[in-house]
Amino acid sequence: MKITIQFGGGVHLLFGNIKLHEIDLPDREKHWTIGDLLLWMTDNLLQERPELFLQDKSVRPGILVIVNDTDWELLGCADYVIQPKDTIGFISTLHGG
Amino acid sequence: MCSVGDDDYDNQAEKTMRKESGIKLSETCNKCRVEKSCVVLRGKDAYCKNCFLIGTIHKFKASLGKYRLIQTNDRVLVWYKVGHPSTSLLHFLRSGLDLMAHKRLRFQPLILFIDDQYHLNVDERKLLLEQVKKEVSSFDFELHCISFADYITDPKKLPELVTTNIISEDDKEKLDYVINKKASKTNKNDIKRLLRRQLLIDVAKYYKCKFVFTPEISVDIASDLLSNVSLGRGSHISIDTGFCDDRDTEVKILKPLRLFDMKELAFYNNHNNLEPLSVRQIEVNPYSSVQDLMTKFVTDLQVNYPATVTTILKTGDKLSLNKHIDVHCRLCKGPIPEIGDQLTSQQSTNFSHLVSNEFLDYGITRQERFQNISDKFDQNSDVNDSICYSCSSICNDICVK
Repeated sequence: MKITIQFGGGVHLLFGNIKLHEIDLPDREKHWTIGDLLLWMTDNLLQERPELFLQDKSVRPGILVIVNDTDWELLGCADYVIQPKDTIGFISTLHGG
Repeated sequence: MCSVGDDDYDNQAEKTMRKESGIKLSETCNKCRVEKSCVVLRGKDAYCKNCFLIGTIHKFKASLGKYRLIQTNDRVLVWYKVGHPSTSLLHFLRSGLDLMAHKRLRFQPLILFIDDQYHLNVDERKLLLEQVKKEVSSFDFELHCISFADYITDPKKLPELVTTNIISEDDKEKLDYVINKKASKTNKNDIKRLLRRQLLIDVAKYYKCKFVFTPEISVDIASDLLSNVSLGRGSHISIDTGFCDDRDTEVKILKPLRLFDMKELAFYNNHNNLEPLSVRQIEVNPYSSVQDLMTKFVTDLQVNYPATVTTILKTGDKLSLNKHIDVHCRLCKGPIPEIGDQLTSQQSTNFSHLVSNEFLDYGITRQERFQNISDKFDQNSDVNDSICYSCSSICNDICVK
């Protein structure tokens, strides 16, 4: 399943300085939720310090998640079932001056 | 301060602060009730993109309009700090100044960047400055920069500093030279805040601006408010954390973003396709200073209780001095409450400090001992009467040249 991941506000610093990732999630019987994606990202994309990205199986407070321009809180947070061609954005509010 | 047993509460946080998960969010916008909602504010109110953007811009203009301080063609110095709030602020200003805008803003902003990111190396700081210049010019504003270390080394050189702006290797040493390196981090933070305030006022005067905009948002104000209480600056709460700081007769410092929260501004930037700059942050030990601890306290509480920040803010808004005070502190320029017949908590603290540092002379009677110490206290209390309680504790710790 092909999806796009975008990083903003400094989260890209943890992911090898790349702001846009086009990824192909491996096919499987069970559907992919954002919660699963977070773990997949930690294993496959995250380059350093997972504690700055993840906390208690969700993103760390201060990182906002936006799915196709919609706040993930409206979609059930980590339980949202990812659809093909979704664009999922992670925006940090912690890297300001 | 005694902290024995505090760890216990940390461990019980899970039990006592359970996350509520019963709130049903509306699928259509709370405002227009037609469009599909796309952002949730305060953990409960859902808005569509259009209503959210209109509401945010209205909130900004309303906070400026409410006080009616700024007149047409006034010059306003805008302190630009890296991050979501500053980027939103620039966008608010640019779109508000636009000729076509509804209820157009009619003042002239000047943008100031203070080079004080001393945890970065020189190359990173130079790169950051270039990026800041680029971002500010993308909004069609001119950028002015000043070095914090150079300013505090010699504030009189300001006219030279705003035109040259040199980033040098030894800026951190200059800072350590002026602010005692061994002082506690709490006092260092406090003095830096006071110096930065003075810097903004001096630069504003140099450019003939009557106002300064600072980019603090609600959570900054809430933690500043609690820090003020803990540092004995209770009487400064209304000027330090209110909308307008009018300590200086010529220049007023305004906080136009004080009612916004970070999520609101991050979404505002995202919907306007703005990408704020990001800089490497140092990891801060939350227990290293009062200010850092307060920030941690407020943000941790805010995660599960989205009303925390507004409650603190609104309570703070109700606090003000009940009488006019003419005596002002030489360092922070804040009012110094008069000492009346009743002992204040400041005097009690000073008295117990004095008593605990005295050697007792057991050769004299108890009454005489009391008389001696109380005379000594009366003599001492006259000293430094032009510096407020909180600043006097900074002065003892830090040598300000």
